[in-house]
Amino acid sequence: MKYILMMNTMKAGHGVPNWPQKDLQAHIAFMKNLNKDLRGSGELVSAEGLAFPDQAKLVRAGKDGKPITDGVFPESKEFLAGYWIIDVDNAERAYAIAARVSAAPGPGGSPLNMPIEVRPVMSGPPPEMM
Amino acid sequence: MKYILLMSGTSAGVDRYRAWPQQDIDAHMKVLRNISQELTESGEFVATQGLAAPTEARVVRGVKNGLPVTDGIFPESKEFLLGYWIVDVETAERAYAIAGRISAAAGPQGVPTNMPIEVRRFAFDEPKSQ
Repeated sequence: MKYILMMNTMKAGHGVPNWPQKDLQAHIAFMKNLNKDLRGSGELVSAEGLAFPDQAKLVRAGKDGKPITDGVFPESKEFLAGYWIIDVDNAERAYAIAARVSAAPGPGGSPLNMPIEVRPVMSGPPPEMM
Repeated sequence: MKYILLMSGTSAGVDRYRAWPQQDIDAHMKVLRNISQELTESGEFVATQGLAAPTEARVVRGVKNGLPVTDGIFPESKEFLLGYWIVDVETAERAYAIAGRISAAAGPQGVPTNMPIEVRRFAFDEPKSQ
């Protein structure tokens, strides 16, 4: 079964975290190791990081068919910082991987304890939508 | 450049969608399938996925006694990711135009849903190959 793990940790205006260089490097190294392990176990489908929220746009359809873009977001909005899609045997395995992501090191090497949202991905539209 | 187009909504919004007449759901899905088809033909399509219902969502935060700590209670206002498209396009404007078309997909009685579509660039990405 495929699951998506979402790191919804960013807020409007967030850029590169103001951490000491070595802490940033340790964080990136942790993520690289995680991806390597998931690739090795055959569970990694894809993993991506998104550009910072200052480049995010909200798009709606205009009456003339032209897109209407808006770059102003409520302060409370959580932005997707990155995600993993994994193919695992059960939800518990997805939760275990999410817990590992959650524990990624932050400043001073302490675990960030980030909330990671876990959702099953549909392989196609559900039958009632076809 | 690769962009992800994120379609989000609240749990109540998902319930309203489920209550649409079947023919309106069919018409909506047909528009989305046509967009994917056109993007495939233009070479801009990378991936699209729908996510399972918010009731299946869990947030994982850290580990306790060797087990991931999961929580399935969310505020009513939470915006859940419903689905996404990944496109590989020349410019941000092209990504916004595609998002505009998704936003214009018909809802009940053929009226465009005008759903806001969040457009985000991938942080680490090669320029579109020529």
